[in-house]
Amino acid sequence: MKKSKPLILIVDDNSINIDLLVNTLKSDYRLGIAKNGPKALEYADKHLPGLILLDIMMPGMNGYEVCTRLKASSKTKEIPVIFITAMTESGHKTRGFEVGALDYITKPFHAAEVKARVKTHLALKEVHDREIYIASKIQKTLLLGRPPGDIPGIQIFQLTVASQKVDGDFYDFFKFDDQCFDLMVGDVMGKGVPAALLGAAMKSHFLRVLNEQLRLSCKKELPEPAQIVSSVHSGMIDHLEDLETFVTLCYARFDMLKYIFSFVDCGHMRTIHFHDGSNRCSLLQGVNMPLGFPEKEPFRQISVHFEPGDFFVFYSDGVTESKNKDGDLYGEKRLLDFVQANGRIEPENLIKKIWNDIVAFSHSEIFDDDVTCVLVKIDKDLSLPALTTESELEITSDLKELERVRAFIRGFCAGVKDYPLDEKRISTIELAVTEITANIIKHAYQSRSGETIQINAEVLADEIAIRFYDRGEQFDQESVPQPVFDGSREGGFGLHIIAHTVDEVLYSRDEQGRNCACLKIKL
Amino acid sequence: MELSTEKIGDVTVVGVLTEVLDAGNTEEFKTGFASILNESNKVVFELGRVKFIDSSGCGTLLFCQKQLSKLGGDLKLCGVQESVHSLFELVRMDRILGMFDTKEDAVDSFKKK
Repeated sequence: MKKSKPLILIVDDNSINIDLLVNTLKSDYRLGIAKNGPKALEYADKHLPGLILLDIMMPGMNGYEVCTRLKASSKTKEIPVIFITAMTESGHKTRGFEVGALDYITKPFHAAEVKARVKTHLALKEVHDREIYIASKIQKTLLLGRPPGDIPGIQIFQLTVASQKVDGDFYDFFKFDDQCFDLMVGDVMGKGVPAALLGAAMKSHFLRVLNEQLRLSCKKELPEPAQIVSSVHSGMIDHLEDLETFVTLCYARFDMLKYIFSFVDCGHMRTIHFHDGSNRCSLLQGVNMPLGFPEKEPFRQISVHFEPGDFFVFYSDGVTESKNKDGDLYGEKRLLDFVQANGRIEPENLIKKIWNDIVAFSHSEIFDDDVTCVLVKIDKDLSLPALTTESELEITSDLKELERVRAFIRGFCAGVKDYPLDEKRISTIELAVTEITANIIKHAYQSRSGETIQINAEVLADEIAIRFYDRGEQFDQESVPQPVFDGSREGGFGLHIIAHTVDEVLYSRDEQGRNCACLKIKL
Repeated sequence: MELSTEKIGDVTVVGVLTEVLDAGNTEEFKTGFASILNESNKVVFELGRVKFIDSSGCGTLLFCQKQLSKLGGDLKLCGVQESVHSLFELVRMDRILGMFDTKEDAVDSFKKK
């Protein structure tokens, strides 16, 4: 395919000058003409020419101002500008370079000189564009990892909009098993190919360290995020110092078994944690310096608990540092407020809305920095049998068995590792199971001996469920009179006690015709 | 059911020597209590050893108190452990039965009538 000729915009208020330039350039280029500053800005914004020849002395808006405005817009700032002027004093030239011009052509000009300068600057621009293209290719292919789509109970969405200058945002995911994965988001200081290459190097170094540490860990234990970051840092610090750059990073682990989010933050943007229960957001900030700073203290890891329905938003500074026309930043608070206000929206739509809000704020879809954003949502209805610890006991319908039921529950509670229950809590749970079991024996089985009760206890994500199955009379809650507390009655306290010692009691009948009483205790 | 008795004046102090008072042993407890009922109408249960009581246990204590008050006497408790005490509060028994830290206090409380 033949490349179309580059488009050049000529800006001059003098028709004779315009004619001269047109005649000089028309055979090699497509040309656009603007006779004043505002027209030039409008044309540049609409057609994005490959180069602008700009007269300085024009009525109304002069060339300096046109150039300043072109450079202020992220859309037009990369267009090379060559000033055309009759003024030869170096003071004027200096001013032109200050506002962002690349070169000067002095009137009266020679056709050959104009051609040569235009050609040179277009060639330089092409080299520059090529570099950006390569960098963005590196970014797309090497820097931005693909989220694992197959982790039960987790949804991951990402937003990536590369800026005109690739600036080395990177992220990746490491899945260990269905219950655990790591997410790394980072940003290399600097732009273009060097930043992109360094980002890629960081990523591959993380992979290497992970690989080594997983091989070394004799048991099934995973290396802690702090350990991983620390190893990567010691492997990369010399390179980073040589390149005089640094990398901000957040390395995070989602433990779906314990519902723990552990992260090592090294000067990265603060992660947003949306709490489904309270509808509030919190900001997770680490205490470590970016990678590339001489290490003074060991990397510190922070852990927070999460609940089903919560989500986390990771983002690059391209999000919060998007600017509007007045130069105001989008900012962390605006993002936080937006996420909090829209936390109930489906995550896929939320991430689109975040993008729309940034675009609406900045009135542009072209940004100085890469805009990257990763949203990790924990499913609300998590029923993962793999996550449970379960125990079973079968007893006969004898009140002497109550002691065994309590011993079983004591043992079970002691095995709830992630949320140690204190003595008092265990003793109230013992009380509740005693009451339920005694009720089943006395009422459902009418104190008949030789019947059985199956008891099943399991730890779910954030609660304990203890189920009692019997084949006796079905229990009717409505039939139970309110307890009397004046000492006149010796019974009728059981249900009152149960209701006040556990968080929820559910009575049902299963498909096998068994009665099921389920006690739920929140952890 | 192991119950020890000690006579202090006209008050019988009954040491409840079991750790558990639940639906599984309340009948035994009532049987043991019946023999005490023959001797005295002023009784103190020393519950220092009892770690666990359920609603049947509560009902049994209320039953004992009722029997004693029919005879013109009363039941007091002493040495109640914390976990047991919170159950008593839950079923409002702390308002019905006099509870004391020591058996001496419980015995003295009979004199102050």
